[in-house]
Amino acid sequence: MKDYIATIVKNEKIAENIYAVTFALDEDVTIRAGQFGNIAVGGTHLLRRPIAICKADKRQVTFCYQLKGEGTRLLKEKKIGETCNVLMPLGNGFYVEDTEKKVALVGGGVGVFPLISVLRAYGETKEISAYIGYRNQGAVCGVEDFQKANKFVAVTDDGSYGEKMNAVQAFAADLAKGNRPDVVLACGPTPMLRALKAVTEKENLSCYVSLEERMGCGFGACVVCVCDLTSGKKARVCKDGPVFNASEVVL
Amino acid sequence: MANLAVHICGVELKNPVIAASGTFGFGREFNELYDIGAIGGVSTKGLTLEPRLGNPVPRIAESRGVILNAVGLQNPGVEYFIQNDLEWLKATGTRVIANVAGKTLDDYQSICQRLDGKVDMIELNISCPNVKSGGMAFGIKPETVEEVTRVAKSGAKNTPLIVKLSPNVESIATNAKAAENGGADCVSLINTLTGMAIDIERRRPIIANNTGGVSGAGVKPIAVRMVYEAAQAVKIPVIGMGGITCAEDAIEFLMAGAVAVQVGTANFTDPYAMPKIIKGLNEWCDRHSIQNVTELTGTLQLNGK
Repeated sequence: MKDYIATIVKNEKIAENIYAVTFALDEDVTIRAGQFGNIAVGGTHLLRRPIAICKADKRQVTFCYQLKGEGTRLLKEKKIGETCNVLMPLGNGFYVEDTEKKVALVGGGVGVFPLISVLRAYGETKEISAYIGYRNQGAVCGVEDFQKANKFVAVTDDGSYGEKMNAVQAFAADLAKGNRPDVVLACGPTPMLRALKAVTEKENLSCYVSLEERMGCGFGACVVCVCDLTSGKKARVCKDGPVFNASEVVL
Repeated sequence: MANLAVHICGVELKNPVIAASGTFGFGREFNELYDIGAIGGVSTKGLTLEPRLGNPVPRIAESRGVILNAVGLQNPGVEYFIQNDLEWLKATGTRVIANVAGKTLDDYQSICQRLDGKVDMIELNISCPNVKSGGMAFGIKPETVEEVTRVAKSGAKNTPLIVKLSPNVESIATNAKAAENGGADCVSLINTLTGMAIDIERRRPIIANNTGGVSGAGVKPIAVRMVYEAAQAVKIPVIGMGGITCAEDAIEFLMAGAVAVQVGTANFTDPYAMPKIIKGLNEWCDRHSIQNVTELTGTLQLNGK
């Protein structure tokens, strides 16, 4: 974890309401799939924006973000050559065990971007199937990355791109056909993760989910971004997560 | 190089910059970024006798220039702190200020007793706006401020006791005086101001607790005024806080009458805020030919006087 002064080399729209910003760093950074950065956007905003790292390549890091409030709007308006302080890498990230050969990625909404980082980390060594849900055709993004997976099933809520269903339904349909992964990695809205957890628990599949929560510091000091564990305890999404074993977290 | 050391109730701090409770945990996470032994002190996450799970999420929201939080005193309990964090934190070389809260007078006495002699100072949280019972309830009226201070001091016989004052009161001067009368060795202020931020799409408050404590750059003028008023009212030392982001902000508080300052929300905006403030203090003192930072305390001159 380090506070990098990162220079914007690209900041552009990639889908409806979704932008990708690429920063250049003056030193190498090592990032695990599923980790995130906390980006200072300036202005009157005192909190940084915690955003998943989509791609990292030595001295370049790309984050994809949805325009949601003033903070992300400030980020969108930043031009090439401007700098931001980015604290990273943060969080535990996704980890695929050596014994897990077949990996299923289940993602929806902005949750698709940390899954692209999994694909980049494990695409060469694992057999990866990606089940990705978008709201509609306009929201479709990351296709060129997911097409590198062994299997890519894209679906939309309204059927305007791929079949009309959600990512969990797409995953469950393939599972019913006998395509059983060794581990499921997921990121997306909580209702999606909840539905996925029901499926993976019923099928006795190992499943890890990446959670989102409003954060303060982003590295474990302030205990603002907690989630409930099935043990009755609380965990910090930023430091103990954002990736949790689905069976250990209350969704 | 100016001398930044300050003495508060017989405790020497290597500089007057202290991490504010609740923004710094017990220091371990920030120590991954820099040596926290370089900062004057750490006021720990608010401790209670028993572990507390805190409030539901979301616990934080933003408004221009400020943040709101309602964590609800989630903490592992005082015993866990003593067993797992205290020795480590002491060994960093910073001064350890245990921030404590309770639901009852007995709680305050017991937790102070448990920590007495083990930490450099104890800071009494009687002004947490985010818990249903206790906390703030003691911090509003001068009579209860005095009473809880007296009871806590009877537990903290050998450890300097700081009473952290709420700004959500009728008169900060009266409450500061009440703490002094109750036996406080020092007062710190301000705790957060109670506020609300609304998600207009959902027509609901953003924070699950509905209201939260407002802190950050935007509260600074209120805090400076209150520190001035409190410092005028009491003879015991005053620790100032509220929106401090840079060395110049800290100097305002010192001039208003504080002997030291605490930095909270700025740690989120810039995790290196405190080392930068310490460096900036040094540079400002050098530029103004000030040898000891203590020379700044209470040097404010009001207009027209």
